Order: sequence, then C-alpha cells, then structure tokens
Amino acid sequence: MAGLTDSLGALLGLPYTDVVVLLGAVVLGVTSGVLGAFAVLRRRSLVGDAISHSTLPGVCLAFLLAGAKDVPGLLVGAAIAGLAAAVLMVGAERLGLPADTAIGVVLSGFFCLGIVLLTYIAGSGNADQAGLGNYLFGQAAGLLISDVAVMAGIGAVALATVVVGRRALTATLFDPAHAAALGLRVRLVEIGMTVLLVVAVVIGVRLVGAILMVAMLVVPTVVARQFVNRLHQVLVLAGAAGAVVGAVGALAATRAQLPTGPVVVLVGVTLALVAVAFAPGRGAIWQAQALARRRRRSRDEALLSDPHAPDRSLMDRYRRTTLRRRGLLADDGSTLTPRGRQQVEDLSERRSLWSAWLAHGWRLDLPDAREPDPHDLAGSLGPQALDQLRRLAATAGGTR
Amino acid sequence: MTDNLVIVIVAGLTATACGLLGPFLVLRRMALLSDAVSHAVLPGIVSVWLVAHTRAPLPVVLGAAAFAVLCVVAIDALRATGLVASDAAIALVFPALFSLGVLGITRYADGIHLDLDSTIYGEIALVPFDTISVGGVDLARAAVVLAVVVLVDLALLALLWKELTATTFDPEFSSTVRLRPQLLNRLLVIAVAVTAVSAFEAVGAILVVTMLIVPAATAYLLTNRLPVLVAGSVGVGWIGAVGGHRLALATDSSIAGAMGLVCTACFVLAVLVSRRRLILAQLLPSVSRGRIVS
Amino acid sequence: MTPAVHVIENVATIPSALHPAMDIRGLTVSYRAAPVLWEVAATFPAGQLSAIVGPNGAGKSTLLKAALRVVPADAGRVRIAGIEGAAALDHVAYVPQTASVDWDFPITAGEVVAMGRYRAAGWFRRLSRADRTIAAQCLERVGMAGYARRQIGQLSGGQRQRIFVARALAQQARVLLMDEPFSGIDTRTQVDLLALFRELCAAGDTVIAVHHDIGQVRECFDWALLLNVRSLGCGPVASVLTPAAVTEAYGGGRGLAWPA
Repeated sequence: MAGLTDSLGALLGLPYTDVVVLLGAVVLGVTSGVLGAFAVLRRRSLVGDAISHSTLPGVCLAFLLAGAKDVPGLLVGAAIAGLAAAVLMVGAERLGLPADTAIGVVLSGFFCLGIVLLTYIAGSGNADQAGLGNYLFGQAAGLLISDVAVMAGIGAVALATVVVGRRALTATLFDPAHAAALGLRVRLVEIGMTVLLVVAVVIGVRLVGAILMVAMLVVPTVVARQFVNRLHQVLVLAGAAGAVVGAVGALAATRAQLPTGPVVVLVGVTLALVAVAFAPGRGAIWQAQALARRRRRSRDEALLSDPHAPDRSLMDRYRRTTLRRRGLLADDGSTLTPRGRQQVEDLSERRSLWSAWLAHGWRLDLPDAREPDPHDLAGSLGPQALDQLRRLAATAGGTR
Repeated sequence: MTDNLVIVIVAGLTATACGLLGPFLVLRRMALLSDAVSHAVLPGIVSVWLVAHTRAPLPVVLGAAAFAVLCVVAIDALRATGLVASDAAIALVFPALFSLGVLGITRYADGIHLDLDSTIYGEIALVPFDTISVGGVDLARAAVVLAVVVLVDLALLALLWKELTATTFDPEFSSTVRLRPQLLNRLLVIAVAVTAVSAFEAVGAILVVTMLIVPAATAYLLTNRLPVLVAGSVGVGWIGAVGGHRLALATDSSIAGAMGLVCTACFVLAVLVSRRRLILAQLLPSVSRGRIVS
Repeated sequence: MTPAVHVIENVATIPSALHPAMDIRGLTVSYRAAPVLWEVAATFPAGQLSAIVGPNGAGKSTLLKAALRVVPADAGRVRIAGIEGAAALDHVAYVPQTASVDWDFPITAGEVVAMGRYRAAGWFRRLSRADRTIAAQCLERVGMAGYARRQIGQLSGGQRQRIFVARALAQQARVLLMDEPFSGIDTRTQVDLLALFRELCAAGDTVIAVHHDIGQVRECFDWALLLNVRSLGCGPVASVLTPAAVTEAYGGGRGLAWPA
C-alpha cells in the first residue's frame, strides 16, 4: 500500500500526504457523484442532507459505546445512524407532515443529538477524541492510506451493485409506477437506492464534513445532466466530475491549510454554475439568447406590421434603426421599402398558414407524428404537407 | 439576575421569535428553504466584519438580510433555468454561501473573534457577559436584540395575519385578489434571516433551524387551528429552552444542542400521543405483509 | 398591411347600456413554442350565464388564467367590465379547479369564505363586522351555514366547491370566472350551484364557466364561447353550438370521408 502511494507520489511529483489526500478525494468524488445521482434524479437531494447530518451522532455513539477510534469503526456508526435517519424520515412523512418538514425534523433532531454528544465528549476531558470534530467541516489532513483503502473497498462494492442492477435502477428512476406494473419489486429497488445514498454519505463525510456533504452529492449529477442525456452516461460523467472536483478542492485545501469541505464545495458549485450557464444547446446563456432572439423577432414583426405606430420604448427605437439598416424600412423610419413590404406579406402568409393549420391540420396526411413550428411551417411540415394544407384552406373558403 | 436566568431568557426569546415564524414556514413548505437561509447569514456576518469592522446589530442584520435575499434569489434563478430541480438548487446554494462564510472565518479568525464550532451551535454561555446599557441598566446584548426581534415578529403577525394565512392556504387565489404572495414570501425569508442572525451568537446556525422547524412540527401534529399552532409552537420552544438548559448543565454539553434535543423529544412525544393508534395500525399490517419501511 | 385578425362574432347583440362583462381581443398565449391560444376574440355580455367549451388542450383554463393575469399573454388584451390591466382584478372573482390547495391546512370553512373579503378590508386591517356579515350571508346562500367551523379537509367534494363559490360571492365582484365548477361533485350540488348562478345573472352579475358538458350548456346556459386554441364562435348558445361547429371544434369524426 505504501509502496503504491510512494510510486504515485514520484509519478505526480507530490509528497506522500498529498497523494493520500488525492486518492481519498477521488474515491469521495467518484462515489458521491455516481451514488448521489440516485438522490438527485429522484428529487431527494435534501434527504441526502439529512442523512449527512445524522452521521454526527453516529460517529459519536460509535466512539462512546464501542470505543471506536479509527475511521472505519466510526464510519460503521455513521452508517447505522444514516439508515436510521432514512427510515425515520419516511415514518415522519407517513404521519402527515409535509415532506420537507419531515426531512427538517429528522435532520435537526439527529444533528442536535450529535452536537450534545460531541460537546459532552469534548468536555469530558477524553483526550482521545479521534478527531470527531473533523466530521463537521471535513478535514483531509490526518487521513491514512488504510482509511482510503477501506473507503475505496466499500465504494467499489457499491459501484459494482450499480452496474449489476442498472436496468432495475433505470426503470425505477424513470417511472416507478410503470416499473411496478411490469412486476419489478420497486420497493426493494428504492430501499437499495437509499442504502447506496447512505454509503455515499458515509464515504465522503470524513473529507467534506456532515454539513456540506450534500453539495458533493448534487454537484456531479447537476454537471453531468447538462451535457449528456442517458443514465449510464450521466453516471459516468458524474463520477468523473466528482473526482475532478474532489481532487482539485482537496489538494487546494491542504496546500492553503484550510478546512477541506468548504474548498471542495466552492470548487464544485462553481463548476456546476459554469455547466448550467454554458451547457451547449440548453444552458442558461443559450436560453437567454434564444429568448432575446424571440423578443427581437416579435418586436420586428409588430413594427413592420404597423410602421406608423409610435415607439413605446428604447427597444422599439433600436429595432427601428436596425430595420432601416437592413433595408426593410425607408430612411424616414416609418415607411416600408419594397423588401419590407415583401417581409410583411411573408409574415401575413405565415399567420394565415398557421390559422389554416389550426383549422385543417388534423386532416393532413403526415408521414409521422411531427409537430409544426409556427415560424417555419414549410420546414417543419415538408413541402407536400404544405401544399395539401393550402388546398384544404382554399377549399374551405379561406380561413374561417 | 443570575447568569443562568439570563441564559434561559435569551434562549426563551429565541424560541419565541422562531416559534412565531415556524408554523408559516412549515405550512408554506419552506422548512428547508429556511434551513438554507439560516446558513446563508454566516457570510453576511463575516462580510460586514471584513468590510466595516463592526459587529453592531444593525449593520450585521442588514448584511445577513442581504445574503438571505441573495440566497433565495440564487435558488430561484437556478430553478428558473429549468435545468436544476428546486431541491438540488437549495443543495447547491446554501453550502456554497456557508463555505464562503467558513473560509472567511478561518482566514481572518483573529479579527473576527468567531470560533468555527460556535458558528454551528453558538456560545450562549457567554451571553450574560456581553452587556449594553439600556436606560442605565446593564442588559445582555443578545437579550435586547432578540426582544426587539420578537416584537417585530409579533407586529408582522398582528398586521399581516390574514394576508399570511390566505397566501399560505391558496397562493393562486391570493394572486387573483392581489394579495401579493411573492412579496409575503420574501418578507418571511427576511424575517427568518433577521431572526437567524440575531440568535446566531446564542445558538448558532444549525440550531436556529431546529427552533424554527421542530416546535412548529410538534404543534402541527397536535392541533387543527392555526392560532393554537402558533401558540403551541412558541410553547414547545420554551420547553426546549428551559429543559435544554437543565440537560446541558447536567451533562456538561452544548446548551443550544440540548435545547434542540429537548424540542425533538417533545416532537417524539407528540407523535406517540397523537398517532398512537395510527402507528400501530400501520406497523402491524406492513410487518405481516413482509414489507419493509424504506 | 395589417395581419388578419380573427374577429368572429356570430349573431349577437351586445347590450349597449352596459360594458361587456369580459371582452377579449387578439389574445395569443404560448408556453414554449406552439401557441396555446391564438388570436382569440370573444365578448361576454353582462347578465348572461356563459360557458367556455372545447376539447381537452383547447386552452380554456389558460384563457381564464390569462384574463386573471396569472399567465402572461404574448399579444392581445382582456377587458373586464370595461377595465383593462391589474385594476380589473377588483371586479372579478375566480373559482379555480381546486387543485392547488392544501387540504390539511388548519383552517375552517368559515375562514375560507371570509378570505373573499380580504381585498376589500385592505392590507393590515382586521375584517369589520360588515365583512363578517357578508361572509356569513354568502355561506348561507350556498347552503353551508352550519358548516362554518368545520375544517376544510373534512368536507366532501361538493361541500368544498360550495365553500369556494361562497368565497367568490363574498368578493362581491360583478364577474365570476369558474374553471370546471361542476366536475367531480355530486348532482345535488350541481343543481344547487346552477340555480345560484342563474340567480346571480338575473340580478345583473355575469358567470362565465369553463364546462365540459355541451348538452348541459345547450340546455341551461345563455351564451357560449367555442374554443379550440382559436375562437370558433362566441354568442348565444343556439347559434354557436351548432352540430357542425361542435364537430369541427372537436376535430371532426373518424370514419367520415373527407375530400382529398
């Protein structure tokens, strides 16, 4: 184990401790990325938050009752507490509490218990506190390669489960009612997903801390969803994104001697915001551009239809200038040029075509289930369908 | 006035302020949003210190309110893109803001006199020693600030009771009669932020959330009438304040943590009392059918 | 050259003395790309029991929501009692399809009806005794006087609908917009509510209801808008809901041979 780490260190030019941090962060990133997807895609991200907070009393009790002092032992306590929290959340919801309140009560209750135990342990003069405080904000320092090995082992088992059960998982994620109708034991699969979530939390909570862990569950999936559309691709990309975020954040934190959790979270959320903003074809920037384009077109059409109407805003004056430049309006800004008149005729034809579609569209002979684009009926329906539509409209006496 | 009494009073004022707002947060499904907002006040406190070198209540409250609004605006913006679910948006925004606050404290720890752990569970034991002079009498600063907050919360409820009720029960109807549900949402968020930052030193970030949600949830299980819900929520909070203080002294643990724990115990009691028959009815059939509660 | 605007009004005489209860011109609403409502024009005279009918997905609920400014319109305008803009909301009461409400909310039937007076009472003020009297009278008018203290979740579907109608009555608005008021409730409540609507219209108010039952509209209503993304007729029921028009609105029939 040490030999492997040393050789990695030599390869990357990093000291031993950094290599341990790096490996731990990669394990964290991959597991929380892949396993966290099953929470995010089911809209259960904040359940992950409650499970993370519940690990605090778990590790404290493991220390108090079982005398656990090393990371693996404490993580057993964390796992038990996490599972208990998951069960109790469902129970609380069954009582008629709103779902978010159920999560909030379990989160708060467990965490308060954890704080009481933590301060009790700290105050009892027990020198051997096993670094329990690290579970609040996460701390990469002090992590042993053996700890990383245990985390990696558990993570590998969890990932193998995902691979083996991927069909059941996909079906349950997408449409549980349908999956149940097919005979799938949806209940069991959902329990399985919750267990996987607990595993992800348990692996990551030592590095990132109980309070911030939820971000590490959510960031990789949010990033992945902006770029790929199929579940197995999302899982792979989420694992990769998590590994990168974890590695960059953990190394930066150890270099700057800051707590690991906040640095990793800031790196991750930044990446998520960038992905959401710039995602090709669907990102926020793209949406804003498309919206602006639609608005411009709509103002242009209104201006051309009624060029003598007074300007209602700065935008109108600006669009008028642009239309003048494009040669659609004359220099006085309120008469149509021949090209402008042509544009208006095209516009009018498009509108009557759309009305014709509304009136007669259901009668058309379309080769498939295509839907028309109001701004481009010709392109979306095809020339034959368009001719048919025109004929139907003419027969019916024009638009009704 | 003994120190212990001061502590209990401050704790009780916190419970009152939180208990007045909690029911509306629970009923408006804003429980976890208020969790996020309570975390978001930390960077507000830190940044006011870094920029203006003050921890006087008014600028700190303004800074906290600003960050609370930023938190909510950011969550709404992420949701509006249609690319991020609302719970994922919450799970991204508040950890990021909280991390900013934590890093600010760690880097400038000396100047800010804030210990990292106390951001989570406060230092209510120190409250009696931080006094200001009001009309010639030395009072604990936290108590004065919280008393003002309680009065503000009471005023809010008194003036806007019917608007809050209507927009909570039926937001769609309310917007058609121009009762401004969005505006009231923002008002509630700001009220939560102000309460959170005022109670921050006493009970820290996480425990404000506990005091906001758990007493209200407890009362929710026990009553069908909204005024009783509000009163019950404040009542359970006080039980937590007094009981928690006793528990903390007995076990030498965090007072704020113990307060939250006692409130949770009240919640468990309420569950048992109100749904005893319901639980039994649910457990038995599900066990006999071999289903496991997941 | 102005684009073609579909102004379709069949034989209809608008009482000139009063503003129409609701007047819609060129309303276009779209959610993403394809419009849900396209250049809809319709006029609803005052004092007429009116219905909006059309197939699923025709945009009927959207029309009400656009009139109430709950969804934004791409183009066109809506006037209620002659008033345009947000101020018009003071003259209209809305009974939605009751989906968005929290039935576990700790509130009684009487308190729900009292909400109808909140706007009139104004911000920050308590309800006056006059307000409470009005609310009580509305409760009585829908036959729910004895149920004021019942928690809203404990009422049946028909009883809940009566409460929401009472809330709308308490607003004392001239125009009542209702989205499927008769769906999912028992027959007796339907009969009672229909009688109530007739009384209101006879007294000069206007009830405009989205309704799925064309037969009932033909029998009991005065005025109708036939809607399928665009307006297919707005006027007295008999002239709008002709068999030909209804067939076209609902997409024609399968099995009918159409010329190629």
